[in-house]
Amino acid sequence: MDNLNRPPFDQELAASLSRGRSVAVSGFADRVVGAVRADRRRRIVIRWSSVATAAAACLVAILALSTPSEEALNRQTLALVARDESAQFADLLGAADDLSLLSPAVEKSSVVDVLNAPGS
Amino acid sequence: MSQEEPMLPDDEDDKRLMALVAAGDDDALRLLVHRHHARLVGYLRGEVGSQATAEELAMEVFIRLHRAASRWRPEAKLSTYLIHIAHNLVLNEWRRRGRKPTTALEFAAEPGDSSQQSARRVAELDEAFQRAIAQLPPEQRSAILLVVQQELPYEDIAEIMGVPVSSVKTWIHRARSRLRELLKDFYGNE
Repeated sequence: MDNLNRPPFDQELAASLSRGRSVAVSGFADRVVGAVRADRRRRIVIRWSSVATAAAACLVAILALSTPSEEALNRQTLALVARDESAQFADLLGAADDLSLLSPAVEKSSVVDVLNAPGS
Repeated sequence: MSQEEPMLPDDEDDKRLMALVAAGDDDALRLLVHRHHARLVGYLRGEVGSQATAEELAMEVFIRLHRAASRWRPEAKLSTYLIHIAHNLVLNEWRRRGRKPTTALEFAAEPGDSSQQSARRVAELDEAFQRAIAQLPPEQRSAILLVVQQELPYEDIAEIMGVPVSSVKTWIHRARSRLRELLKDFYGNE
């Protein structure tokens, strides 16, 4: 642009603005590098926090899915109790059969009575 | 605060330094900041009228540049890219504050080419121009600063502001007219 052909207003506008065109600040680069390092550390912390939070959420989900519900626990308990009674009953019957085989002369009902008697 | 001009930007060297910054080289970042910060702070001070705010925003520009370093593609000059980030931050700043910079500016006149004018008149004029520019609508202020102060071509300004070149030309024309009106006490009816 030819400054000589421009009216004073344009010349002075350009001169005034160009005086503020470049404002060097001493130590600014070091301040920026410090701020960038802090920003980098902050983002690493945020990233690892996110990973840890996600891992914790997965662990809780796995534990929740693998733990039986109260109803399931009740069913399992009842089944165990039922299985134990049947096993006892089978044992009794098995013992009675054994006795009847070994002692055919003895009445099976009397053996059962003896076994069922209090204190047996 | 020193007023010396840092080394002239070298586009090719900027690309090389940006690749190093993307790889985590803080010394390369330091060189880039040293090379570009003065113009950036100058532009931002013209926009916001405050040295402290200009420095804060310039700092944020470089932090964002560092974050984007691995994604940066050298399609435009780095200096234009920096002004683009700075312009967006200025818009955010006004949105955040909910007002425009119409208050008195903190302005210290610097000695310039005053061979035909007294230093006093230069200081008065500079202050008057700064006050007048602060009263412009944001898009006109940005456009006039980018074309007159930063000496960017219309195409670069259009890219920075995300508008067609015709809008940039219109804003610059309106800004000049408005500035003449605001400074009629200094220039009368030229």
